[in-house]
Amino acid sequence: MKISVKVFGRYKDIAGKETIQIDITDGNTIQDVINAFVKLYPAAQNDKNRMMATKNKMFSSYDMTVTQNDEITLAPPVVSGG
Amino acid sequence: MGKDRYRRQILVKQFGLKGQKQLASKHAVLIGGGGLGSNSANILIRMGIGSIDIIDYDTIDRTNLHRTSVFSEKDIGKYKAIVLKERLQSVNTDVQVKAINKKITSKNIDSLLIHADVIVDGTDNIPLRLLINTIAIQQNIPWVYAGVYETVGMVMAILPKKTACFHCITQNIPIPKSKEIPVLGSLPATIAAIQCNETIKVLLGKQPAGLLIYDVWNQCFDKLDIQRNPNCPICGK
Repeated sequence: MKISVKVFGRYKDIAGKETIQIDITDGNTIQDVINAFVKLYPAAQNDKNRMMATKNKMFSSYDMTVTQNDEITLAPPVVSGG
Repeated sequence: MGKDRYRRQILVKQFGLKGQKQLASKHAVLIGGGGLGSNSANILIRMGIGSIDIIDYDTIDRTNLHRTSVFSEKDIGKYKAIVLKERLQSVNTDVQVKAINKKITSKNIDSLLIHADVIVDGTDNIPLRLLINTIAIQQNIPWVYAGVYETVGMVMAILPKKTACFHCITQNIPIPKSKEIPVLGSLPATIAAIQCNETIKVLLGKQPAGLLIYDVWNQCFDKLDIQRNPNCPICGK
């Protein structure tokens, strides 16, 4: 099944769109969504372990499972310079 | 409060004389007086915040100059907090500006924040922001996170127990080890301005916007709606 993932920041540029479709299967996690995103768009590879993910408007750890009806977003990592 | 100084700002219908008076009654604590902090202090003092404490223990380095409009070459080697106070106090003598030339630690942070109506983030690392977040939540003080990296800036106003906190958006994410963070010179002023917008709105009781992400290189401005995590160890129930 396919899940819609809304992307933010430079990921929109990388993907060329605001929402992408990613194939998932039962039991897949946010980590699987990130892996699939990076495979589709290798330019995001450097952020792979620090990407900000939300599930249903709440920050999500990478081990949370996803289902087709979940609202998933991916955003660049929190920045820390001053 | 000199009304004439703020006449053009008071004309802004969303702000008005009421907003100006409210702002003049508020106390901000700014932590960090570098690229972001110096620009934010400049804006808040010019706009008419009532009082501001500027906390920084560091000195001005040549590498700071590309991303701030406040410091100059003759300031190199001087303490940031002291220079900011001297320079910005002369911009607006109605504002009580205090320089606190100290390093923030878990031992002194409580006393430094106790009278704050808002905390303005001018820091440059995640661990200090997590400490600020914890104390802000404990003391019920709103704070406004801002950060920059390369061409990307982020801002999020945090209302304790009402919005997502900084821990809510950083949990489980490894802390970057890079010591020298790349920053486009024009970015901190841009992000500081957005941070000050959020700060003013918080002080005037307006609902914050969420996590704002601005990539100046790719010209994309996003607002990410992140809700509180009820299981957050810092702000959760």
